[in-house]
Amino acid sequence: MSLDVASVRFAYRRTPVLEGVDLRVAEGGFCALLGPNGSGKSTLTKIIARVLSPASGTVSFGGRDLLAAPRREHARVVAYVPQSGATPFEQTVREAVLLGRTPHIGLRPTRRDWETVDAAIERLGLSELADRPLSQLSGGQAQRVLIARALAQRPRVLLLDEPTSALDLRYQIETLQLVRAVTREEGVTALIAIHDLNHAAHFCDQAVLLDGGRVVADGPPSEAFDAAVLSRVYGLDVRVSRGETGVEVRPAALETVTGVSAAPTESV
Amino acid sequence: MKPPSGGPATATRPSSPEPAAEQERRERQDRSGSWSRRLRSRGAWTGRPAVLWAGSVLSVLVVTWCVTAGTTDAGLLDVWRAVRLAVFGGVLTEDFAQTYSVIINLRLPRVLLAFAAGAALSLAGVVMQGLLRNPLVSPFTLGVSPAAAFGAALAILLTGGSAGSGSTLVIGSALGTALGVSALVLGLASAKAMSAATLLLLGIALTQLFEAMTAALQFVADENTLQAIVRWTFGSVNDAGWNDVLVVGACTVAALPLLLWFSRDLNAIAFAGDDAAKSLGVNVTAVRVGLIVVSVVLAAVVVSFCGVIGFVGLVGPHIARLAIGADHRYLLPFSFVTGGLLLVVADTVGRTVLAPSVVPVGIVVAFIGAPVFINLILTRRAAQ
Repeated sequence: MSLDVASVRFAYRRTPVLEGVDLRVAEGGFCALLGPNGSGKSTLTKIIARVLSPASGTVSFGGRDLLAAPRREHARVVAYVPQSGATPFEQTVREAVLLGRTPHIGLRPTRRDWETVDAAIERLGLSELADRPLSQLSGGQAQRVLIARALAQRPRVLLLDEPTSALDLRYQIETLQLVRAVTREEGVTALIAIHDLNHAAHFCDQAVLLDGGRVVADGPPSEAFDAAVLSRVYGLDVRVSRGETGVEVRPAALETVTGVSAAPTESV
Repeated sequence: MKPPSGGPATATRPSSPEPAAEQERRERQDRSGSWSRRLRSRGAWTGRPAVLWAGSVLSVLVVTWCVTAGTTDAGLLDVWRAVRLAVFGGVLTEDFAQTYSVIINLRLPRVLLAFAAGAALSLAGVVMQGLLRNPLVSPFTLGVSPAAAFGAALAILLTGGSAGSGSTLVIGSALGTALGVSALVLGLASAKAMSAATLLLLGIALTQLFEAMTAALQFVADENTLQAIVRWTFGSVNDAGWNDVLVVGACTVAALPLLLWFSRDLNAIAFAGDDAAKSLGVNVTAVRVGLIVVSVVLAAVVVSFCGVIGFVGLVGPHIARLAIGADHRYLLPFSFVTGGLLLVVADTVGRTVLAPSVVPVGIVVAFIGAPVFINLILTRRAAQ
């Protein structure tokens, strides 16, 4: 079983975004989707989540075509965590997480649905906030509600679209730890669009680097991160150092300015 | 102007959520991991069916009470007697004949039409607000009411003012134009993937266009025709007959289960947004088009039969949301109740406050609705 993306192409009107993307994530793997702004990371996650339909190409999981399946069937396999989830109406945390059961429930949720919802809430450490309205939560808490919603969906594939970009350092790390735990313990395949190369290197098994709608590097972070390639893709001179704690990426400009004062473990 | 018979039913409403809140507080104080405790902490949920039942009972009481209100004296017993006579038959005594006629032929259809129209507009409002993810839209946002007004004005003008507001021609013309314009809005919006913003902007554009066209018709009309056109636009249930009740009531009652069937999808779109709803397995475009059609048909039918009654479709959903929360599984049936009640009470006020003259319900409801709505806006908790 694996998540396979094959020659996916996509264009917004006449502007091509993805020009034939191929990648494979093994079941239970945690894959980071990297690349500069506009490289097509978000678009690719949205295509796998079926928010957008590609012009051509296929997405399959365990050999099953995900793009041809009925939407509800697809939503039972793939869950998607968007960047943000502002709602125009008041809703409690528990109600918001219950939305994750949408592809599973008929007219009304059963006791099992509620148990799944409460388990997801507990897993994200939101139990005390369960009956709070969403508008009273902080940005980090609201982001965790979205992840709880995706977990309540009980997916086999979890997609996250830059879930950490609005979070402070502690929640960034906690979120990534949580997603990694979900992949390890439940065999869920996770794909995360993320900006922080060092976080990706530390938490993910696989790093896929996109540039201009094409895959330019794919593999374990320690192999996929190449100073020359990264420098070209980001248009910025970067250094890649490989130490005991894993691979680390640092802009060359920072190294010359801050010099020795920067501790190597700081960004991990 | 609070109905006396509604007293006991209203009293149950504030008291039912209270134990739930109490329980919730206790839950929060001693938080341990047991399942049974967690299940009980859903106290807030068990309150909602109770609110729904209280609302339904209250509607029956208020509707009955409103039938008794008016210049001809008629008590609750008279209403019961008249309804029993009308349904099961029996001997109509000489002294009861006039009361019977007032109740069965005038007040009952009027009150029921007001309830059905209010319920329909409120339901349509909930659906539009949810689908467009905007608490400030109403069923008329897509241009239904100005289009219907134009259709009615055209029919009145072409018949030289001879067709009354209740005539089939005027109703048909209003309904046809309203549905046609809605179809046009949806057709144009499909070019932009049915996005909420596109629908809103198109609705604004067509509202302006049809208001101008109606004004043009009024400009060329003579005195009598002009008066007939203007009179049509005051929403009222003055000429309510059983046929009107049947058509509007049937549409409303049929729409409720249909909308409830889609309440899960409506929840996903309203709360999670288009993208997330798609990823949750909802066919957003199809659901949006289908439910907008239902809500536009409801609004168009009401406007065609009763004229333009604003605010109910905006305020009814908000009152319901305050009482029962925003979950559409409960919000839809409860907004049915609040919209119906609002219009019935407004109409009763309209025909009793300056009796024997009757103020059109569209005017009364705006007087009641505007302050309520302003209050809602100012007290609304910031929900992003």
